[in-house]
Amino acid sequence: MSTLPFDAPDPPKLAPVKPKSEGVPTRTILTVGELNATIRDLLENSLQTVWVEGEISNARVWNTGHMYFTLKDSASQIKAVMFRSAVRYLKFKPEDGLKVVARGKVSVYDPKGEYQIICEHMEPKGLGSLQQAFEQLKKKLAAEGLFDPARKRALPALPRRIGIVTSLDGAALRDIIRVLRRRYPNAHLVLSPTRVQGEGAGREVAHAIRKIERIEGVDVVIVARGGGSLEDLWAFNEEVLARVMAACKVPIISGVGHETDFTIADFVADLRAPTPSAAAELVVRRKDEFFGHIGRICERLDAAIHHRLRRTETRLHALEARPGYAGYRGRIAVRGRHISELAALLRQRMNHSAARRVRRHEQLRRSLDAFDPRHRLAAVRTRLVSRDGQLQAAVRRRIAVLQHRFGSLAARVEGLSPLAVLGRGYSVTWDASRTRIIRDAATLKPGDDVSVTLERGMFEAKVTRSPA
Amino acid sequence: MADPTIKDFEAAIAELETIVKKLEEGDLALEKSLELYERGVQLSRFCHSRLEEAERRIEIVNERGELKPAPASLNLPDDEDEP
Repeated sequence: MSTLPFDAPDPPKLAPVKPKSEGVPTRTILTVGELNATIRDLLENSLQTVWVEGEISNARVWNTGHMYFTLKDSASQIKAVMFRSAVRYLKFKPEDGLKVVARGKVSVYDPKGEYQIICEHMEPKGLGSLQQAFEQLKKKLAAEGLFDPARKRALPALPRRIGIVTSLDGAALRDIIRVLRRRYPNAHLVLSPTRVQGEGAGREVAHAIRKIERIEGVDVVIVARGGGSLEDLWAFNEEVLARVMAACKVPIISGVGHETDFTIADFVADLRAPTPSAAAELVVRRKDEFFGHIGRICERLDAAIHHRLRRTETRLHALEARPGYAGYRGRIAVRGRHISELAALLRQRMNHSAARRVRRHEQLRRSLDAFDPRHRLAAVRTRLVSRDGQLQAAVRRRIAVLQHRFGSLAARVEGLSPLAVLGRGYSVTWDASRTRIIRDAATLKPGDDVSVTLERGMFEAKVTRSPA
Repeated sequence: MADPTIKDFEAAIAELETIVKKLEEGDLALEKSLELYERGVQLSRFCHSRLEEAERRIEIVNERGELKPAPASLNLPDDEDEP
């Protein structure tokens, strides 16, 4: 039993703490402040700059701008502070629960006797490297000119087929289909399904784009994915995808994540939409703008031709008012008949006027957007049909007036017609097609056909001899 | 119904714009004006037929790059917002 250690304490070990003499033992008594200062010196000198990894908790930013928090791991924790001057440079918001890597110096807060780390720099753990990769790739591709505004292509006004590259199960696809069904009901959609997150997803999205750009008639491609963390959206930051997007034959609209998410794909795309549904809206808006534009052109077309007819009308009216130009009137009568034929032709064309179709289409579409169409459609249709009828009636009335005026003009001219001269035995000689009156025999040669008008009837003749 | 005198949608719009400008300048003979107007109507009809000819359809590109009809589940019910 005597061999047990606690029965036989090692005498030399105790020696240093025993008084060396029978006198008052030597004691160095420190004040609390001195002790803390000593501890601080020890800590600050032996631990100069350290990197520490941990999770943020109890983060609080004081109104001084300094941030106080605790860094912890599963077994331990340490108080931490970051001064305003350093907080300013953080590129992310330090929140409770976030895992970070911090660089700082250990120090002691004398008033409380607490040691803490004074952080000078901090980055989110894991994210730091992704962020870095993102910035590096962005810089590299920008330097190559992949994001240049000059490379951006305009969207087609009327895509024959709309390509969609996304996951089949995602909300993004349903959002896109819903927008297009509502605002572009007869759109022809082509999907190229792909995984949009996880290892290798960037390559898969790129492959899906290559497949869809080969489909005949796909004139625009929407590349989309719903919201998620930076890691979730990572596929859209991969170089392989950026390259394929840049080389794509048709314009690409990116609609990735939420409004605040920017990916490399957004920078390369011809157009960036903040969300998947917004990407679909862009296609629709482009179409609507274009048809609005066509509608306006057609209205100008109608206005211009109406104006032209009005001018002719005015001129004829002025001529009508001039007395004593029988010869002119004869010519005007011929022209008047011609115009009335053209007017009839115009009326026929007007019945199918494009402008009306544009208006009908536009009105219908707007009404569909503005109201619940199921309940309103019948009313809208009735209104449109009656408006259509009014327009058509107006055009008809106008042409009838025009025709009537030409008709009466022609009738009046009839009275002054040169036919009266024929009654005295004269005749008129025309060329074979009856478009030109022969006034000079020198314009004829043997064999020419001519047509002769008498007071009653006409006959065809052939020239047999040259004029002397 | 392809119209051989109209190359494509973009060309149709461009021609339509030119016609309207010419008509608006207004120095043309009546016959010429009507001729242009008729052409304008023809062009705008072409544009609208292009809008209407698209087929309401959803297709899917398979692994071999071929087009197949999309699963019915993607043809979302549209009675919620369409007549």
